[in-house]
Amino acid sequence: MKPKRSKAPLNYSARWKYIVLAVTVITMLLSALPSVYGEREALHVSNRNGTLNAVDLSLYLSQAGVETHSITQQDDSFVVAFASPGQQENARQILSQHIDNQHTIALALEAAAPDWLGNLGFSPIKLGLDLRGGVQFLLEVDVASVYQSHAQALLDELRQDNRRLSGRANNGELILSFQNDADLRETRTQIRQHFSQWSITQDDSQLRLVLSTEEQASILSLAVQQNLQTMRGRIEELGITEAIVQRQGENRIRIELPGVQDPAAAKDIIGATASLAFHALHNQNSARSLVVKDQHGNPINLVRKPILGGEHIIDARANIGEMGSAEVNITLDAAGGRLMTNFSRSNIGNPMATVFSEYSRGQNGQSQKASEVISIATIQSQLGNRFRITGAGSLHEAQELALLLRAGSLTAPVTIIEERTIGPTLGAENVKSGFAALALGLSLTLVFIACWYRRLGWIANLALLINMVCLFGLIALLPGAVLTLPGIAGLVLTVGMAVDTNVLIFERIRDKLKQGRNLAQAIDSGFASAFSSIFDANLTTMIVAIALYSIGNGPIQGFALTLGLGLLTSLFTGVFTSRLLINHFWGKNTSREEKI
Amino acid sequence: MQNFNRLTQVRSLMSLVSVALLLASLFFMIERGYNWGLDFTGGVVADILLDPNLEQTDIKAHLESDLGHEVQILSMQGDGKWQLRYGVQDNDSIAALNDSVALLSSEFQILNSSVIGPQVGQDMIEQGSLAILLCFVLTMIYLSYRFEWRLALGSIIALSYDILLVLGLFACLQLEFNLTVLAALLAVMGYSLNDSIIISDRIREVLRSQPNGDIDTLLDQSIASTISRTIVTSGTTLVTVSALWLLGGPALEGFAIALCLGIASGTWSSISIGTVLPKMMGLQAQHYQVVDDKDPIDAMP
Repeated sequence: MKPKRSKAPLNYSARWKYIVLAVTVITMLLSALPSVYGEREALHVSNRNGTLNAVDLSLYLSQAGVETHSITQQDDSFVVAFASPGQQENARQILSQHIDNQHTIALALEAAAPDWLGNLGFSPIKLGLDLRGGVQFLLEVDVASVYQSHAQALLDELRQDNRRLSGRANNGELILSFQNDADLRETRTQIRQHFSQWSITQDDSQLRLVLSTEEQASILSLAVQQNLQTMRGRIEELGITEAIVQRQGENRIRIELPGVQDPAAAKDIIGATASLAFHALHNQNSARSLVVKDQHGNPINLVRKPILGGEHIIDARANIGEMGSAEVNITLDAAGGRLMTNFSRSNIGNPMATVFSEYSRGQNGQSQKASEVISIATIQSQLGNRFRITGAGSLHEAQELALLLRAGSLTAPVTIIEERTIGPTLGAENVKSGFAALALGLSLTLVFIACWYRRLGWIANLALLINMVCLFGLIALLPGAVLTLPGIAGLVLTVGMAVDTNVLIFERIRDKLKQGRNLAQAIDSGFASAFSSIFDANLTTMIVAIALYSIGNGPIQGFALTLGLGLLTSLFTGVFTSRLLINHFWGKNTSREEKI
Repeated sequence: MQNFNRLTQVRSLMSLVSVALLLASLFFMIERGYNWGLDFTGGVVADILLDPNLEQTDIKAHLESDLGHEVQILSMQGDGKWQLRYGVQDNDSIAALNDSVALLSSEFQILNSSVIGPQVGQDMIEQGSLAILLCFVLTMIYLSYRFEWRLALGSIIALSYDILLVLGLFACLQLEFNLTVLAALLAVMGYSLNDSIIISDRIREVLRSQPNGDIDTLLDQSIASTISRTIVTSGTTLVTVSALWLLGGPALEGFAIALCLGIASGTWSSISIGTVLPKMMGLQAQHYQVVDDKDPIDAMP
């Protein structure tokens, strides 16, 4: 950028710099291009068992008068793209009448750009929830079942000391019945001493135990926090960065998934709240055993208290094992590792069952737990904090299981109680007004600069246009970058501020000309003396952009992203590009009469 | 020289106006408080499309009696388009709203709705304050490294003034203060600092080249030599942000207003407060006489 004055000729730019410029501009142009074409509404129809074919789908739709643009097969699903917008929902209903509910039909968007752009790896800019609409979920953390499991755990614990103890846990309340007063008093003292978080009321020969309000509040808070964490982890796994996961009210979690037009895929991950637990097998069917069916429907007696629960799982990965079947490799935390070591040491040769539970909301609104024994493995040796389970099904299923386990395991079940797709109408309106503002701002700036600086102004304008191309290209190129309405505002602000770099340089060049230098000298020293100010000014704005990005969320992040990227591209175009252009046109002009 | 002296008077006068505006801003901030947006207070906002023949008062009366609490209703662009706002009453607000609106008009559409709980708002306030604080600290560190403390402090005070002025305007006009406005405030910080730095850079350069000059004259000279840049950049930025105000739609209105005032004020304060204060604090040419070898570009004539 700054040629060494002693050696290189004045205003000489090496050929490779022009090549860098050309390559960058062409790449960014290609990257920005798919966004111009926009996206087509589409449906994803899963076809995991391969019973569907494209011809049938096309026939169903054309019979109902829905015009399709194309039907293509991607992995194990069909992508049905529509020629015109607004047919998605209609088409979904038509298709769902014809195919059974084993196949999920998901709303989606497909790039409308010509295939060769897609094949080059360029995709349209990802738009945020406010620009394209999206899905919003409201989840409810079912704390009642946590209280229940606490009550059950207390009962199990008390029974270890007193095997004759009879009691039952019901709705988070533990009711203990006693034959004689001595037992009752002894247990009461024990609870007061060791389990002070339970408040006791006596009822003849019964003790009723309820968690104290403070304890309930802290359990609730922990359960929600853990679920928030888990959901954030899962969303991250889904690859949606601007998703919002927020606590709402006491025990609800709101999730916004911009760009996701189909609840199905997200719901698979978010909705199927799963947990895993390892149980020892119980040798006979008794009241104390837990009966869970396996994949073939055979009942299996398990010891009610799990060896350890999913909360100890740190990592879970699916891969193909030595025998060619899918397996999930599990890593436990230290406490979980100890539990597993202790248990497996004294149980070598005994079977251990892996129980997978899924929670769903029943018709009467109650959350239902569906458990299944997914594998019974014989413990071959003492297990540490790393081991693997097999029998999770196909690799795909193992991957899904691993994903759920890895993203964290839930101690409190979560159910989706509301699911809303935000219509794209409003988003389209926002896109329209945002880009109208951008177009107006950009054209006014171009006219102004062209009038103010005349010949040099055209360079600044060209630099500004290249800047916009680079900015759009970069946003499209960066994984995880999402354009939001505040993001467009950031673009508009960038247009205004990007010319600053050129303005600073041009003002310096004018100064130098006034001081009597010739144009070539003025250009050289103008660029050199403006650089420090340019650097300072951009750095401070960059500090703001980074602070905004790291602390802010949703809309603020969208703004910070375009602001920060805009600074980078405006440095590239304002300093590098405009220097190359000016060098090319006036670099050797030693006239002192030139006015700019 | 005559010209420059007049510029000094102009700067002092501008600073006095600034002080008056600042006092007015503080007054409004204390007196009126803010119209906090949903992001901070929590609550329900829903845009609905109803039969265009329905009257605002009827809709309001129906919703309030049916939902059992106060509902704010605003008319939006487009026939039969309304925005409803109310505090979160129970957890099923949207479902309840849906049922209630269904009674009102057989054909209706909830275009967009959001429910934000009060805890979330608290989080937002904390995060926002943290962001502003962090930006302040970081820029302070950078400025004091880059400039002598008098100029650095001048820039920071000018910057704080811009923020307070925008805050004052939002309090005065009771415009909704939401997350995007907060983002705009931070952008104003960046922009105002930008202006101050360009001028401070030039002041440093001028002070170095004329160590024996009169400080007011040198300050005037620095401002005069950067004024055309200041006007062009502020001009283009203001123009683009005004375009945003004009066409950006209601969602960006607060953002654009905050930026417009902030940019105008940033330009104003970097010329006035940003230079008058360092002089009052005793800025002298000798403060910049140590020529920094690491930075030869700045020392060029």
